[in-house]
Amino acid sequence: MSSGPIERRVSYIGDRLKGSRCTICGREYFRVRKYCGTCGRKSFGKIEDIDFFYEKGVLESCTVVRNPTNKFRKLGSYIYGIVSFHDGKVRVPGRLTDRILRSDEDVDPSDFEGREVVPRFRRRYSVGPSEIIPTISLAFTFADEYYPYQKYEIVKPKKEYETPGIVGYGVYVSRFRIKEGTIERSVPFLDEDAITAAVEAGKLALIHSGVDQSLIGKIYVGSESNPYAVNPIASKVAQVLKLGEEERDERVQGIDAVDTEFACKAATSMFKDAAALVYYPKTPTEYAIVIGADNSQAAPRGEPGGELDFFVGFGGSAFIFGMRDVIAELEGWYSCSSDTPDFWRRDLEPYPRHGGRFTGGPAYFKHIVKAGRKLMEKMNLTPGDIDYFICHQPNPVWPMRAAKSLGFKPEQYLPGMQVSKFGNTYSGSSPIGLASVLDIAKPYERIMIVSYGSGAGSDAYSFLVTSQIEEKRSRQRFNVRYQVENRYIEYIDYATYRRFKEGL
Amino acid sequence: MERETPAIIGVGRTKFGERFEEDPEDLIDEAGLMALDSAGIERRDLDACYISDYFLQLTNKIGIEEGFMSQLLEMHIPIEKVRSFSSALFNACHSIEAGKYDLVLVGGVEKMTDRLDKIRDDLMLLEDPWSYYAGCTPESNHELMLREYIKKYGITGDSLERLKVALAYISVKNHRNAVKNVYAHFRREIDLNRVLKARESAHKPLGLYDFAPISDGASAIILASPRVAKEYTDTPIYILGSALSTDYITYPSREDRAGFLATRIAMEKALKMAKVDIKDIHLAELYDQSTVLEMISLEDLGFSRRGRAWLDLAESFRNFDDFEGFYDLDGHILYVNTNGGLKADGNPLGATGGAQVYEVFKQLRGEADGVKVEFDGDLLYGCVQEVEGFGTKVYVHILGRD
Repeated sequence: MSSGPIERRVSYIGDRLKGSRCTICGREYFRVRKYCGTCGRKSFGKIEDIDFFYEKGVLESCTVVRNPTNKFRKLGSYIYGIVSFHDGKVRVPGRLTDRILRSDEDVDPSDFEGREVVPRFRRRYSVGPSEIIPTISLAFTFADEYYPYQKYEIVKPKKEYETPGIVGYGVYVSRFRIKEGTIERSVPFLDEDAITAAVEAGKLALIHSGVDQSLIGKIYVGSESNPYAVNPIASKVAQVLKLGEEERDERVQGIDAVDTEFACKAATSMFKDAAALVYYPKTPTEYAIVIGADNSQAAPRGEPGGELDFFVGFGGSAFIFGMRDVIAELEGWYSCSSDTPDFWRRDLEPYPRHGGRFTGGPAYFKHIVKAGRKLMEKMNLTPGDIDYFICHQPNPVWPMRAAKSLGFKPEQYLPGMQVSKFGNTYSGSSPIGLASVLDIAKPYERIMIVSYGSGAGSDAYSFLVTSQIEEKRSRQRFNVRYQVENRYIEYIDYATYRRFKEGL
Repeated sequence: MERETPAIIGVGRTKFGERFEEDPEDLIDEAGLMALDSAGIERRDLDACYISDYFLQLTNKIGIEEGFMSQLLEMHIPIEKVRSFSSALFNACHSIEAGKYDLVLVGGVEKMTDRLDKIRDDLMLLEDPWSYYAGCTPESNHELMLREYIKKYGITGDSLERLKVALAYISVKNHRNAVKNVYAHFRREIDLNRVLKARESAHKPLGLYDFAPISDGASAIILASPRVAKEYTDTPIYILGSALSTDYITYPSREDRAGFLATRIAMEKALKMAKVDIKDIHLAELYDQSTVLEMISLEDLGFSRRGRAWLDLAESFRNFDDFEGFYDLDGHILYVNTNGGLKADGNPLGATGGAQVYEVFKQLRGEADGVKVEFDGDLLYGCVQEVEGFGTKVYVHILGRD
């Protein structure tokens, strides 16, 4: 059973936890309705839309599910209960996610009840491989654990810039990690995928930027692991985050949404397009958002393509571009590409293949070094003029070698190295490096980022940090470091990692 | 006394349980014929039929049950299908009270084992889609209600342990009652330890023996207008009170979650309609889909004070070896689920209410062949509570004899 219309209606309400409020008596409802039961007829036309997407709830009562219904079977044991919002004005059913419960572990509900929870956008339950992927935000995590509650507040911009650039960004990696040797990698929980990571990253970027969601005119989502072969991630993200002007009656968002694909440079490729778009004078687009999110799959070790299994991570990043309250101006760019098949996945194949040593010299290094050199040449820069250098991070060794051959020193390239914490996050890889540098950069510092996408190509950008970077920093608790050093990180074994990757 | 309400003149039912060899129409046929026989009427005497099944459309892909009934009866009388036996009875009463019919067959059937692999998903989706989407299971809401109950009344420590044991004894009691019920799904005794062990091994607040099973079965009664009832029997059992109340589909969105508001409203209405004092009711067939529901229903129906049912039960079960088969609710003697309840008699949804009515009918006529209601006084009234969904619709019927 898979009904497009039902899925459309359920996720329209459930992804965002939409509800209604009576403006006469203040009564609230989960799910949209036209009148208030208390005020009756006089409330027609006096009901306003609300939603609980950015709200904090309380887990009021809970129990443990050991024997789920068929569609939840892969989740094993989980906590299910009643979540209230706004001091009990609204109560919804919900399950706790991002939590591994052993089947023989006794659960005392009072350990959980009364604690604050944050709604999380996740896959709803398992469906067959040909069906529409159901999603919902009736999944919750505790506000005092890995993922903090953060308010989304729209901040009126103060300053107009002449050069477009980044006005806000967000990074999302999951709570679960696998540690092998010196490398840690982020692993999605069972109900996470590239779609949920894209939404999380976008949500965090909105929170950080303070940008009015309705002013975003375009969204690009780059991914090589969209769980659909056909069907965009971007339209889902735009709807869940209510990007662009909302046309409520038709339930559409006034935004151009598009997915891009070019292995690990699917997102960085669009930085220049986003910047150019917000600069275009004739049809104003206030902001554009570029998201890179991946839950890339890797064959089991020992099988063809299994070498990717040592480094594959999970996560997403989002960057909002605009002309106001810019934190890093986009100074210049250079891109190059060639038909170099060093990593690929044919349609209907579950795992990508990898070109072994061929993916190194003639692919990764050639394009990154070319793009980096060329950009410095064009902009009359030397490595000494650049404070931070970031490049694509498929493993911990190559980015250092690439950086060195471009003439960069460890203090320039180490701050942006995140691969040994999160693994290779593909489309999110070099952008997460960029974010970790923006987390610490000082005004007027220069950042150079060079992405790499197999197949193959590189995008090189130069950003100049502005004075506004510091004041915005306080709006984002959930920065890269927070996700690296978080005490709620849960390390899992290899078998669990493979099971989680498999998903619902 | 001349009664003016519809009356039951005959009853029938099948054995509940796993009826893999029978189609749903075989089961309703069996129960229906038994009811006709018990009433001493011919099928040609029937003016109409109300039948119920919760979800044959899903389990057996049967869309127009009325056609199956018409074909079985070889009659073309009005037949309407509803979702629960009590609903069929409620509507049949209306039609008789409206003066439209004199003899009506009220029947119910369910065939749950034909879809065992998907039944819990179906049950939960039908109970409330949004709760299902959030990961709810058919058992979860019962456990949440227990949490809400113990928190609302501040039951902790030793009291909580006593409550848990009292709940377990409900299951033990219902199993014991079912031993003598030849139609019951489970006709074997269980001991307290078994109930507690099942919870422990599942690492759950409620275990296997706290919940009613998945059953097949059918039940039927013949309902007559007060005008003709006495033509068929000297001892008709009257439907003195018949009430329905509804509640929100999503349990978490209800204001009071430590019970069913719909039960309270329906009982109040039914008592008023029947002009019966609750103190005069000594037999109740309650909808014990879980042990929690048997306990909380005692309060919702008004037999126990709110927040006190667990204590009344703990006292009643104090020396279980001496348990006489009835609850002593602060001095009020109440027999509950003498047929074994949903727990042991079985719970074939659409047919369940019919088995409850069957039991009360037999007890009121002094014809019960299983556990007999015996106390110092006359058994004049019996009460039947049936629930659709998780407290979403609650029917209360009060039955009485001359």
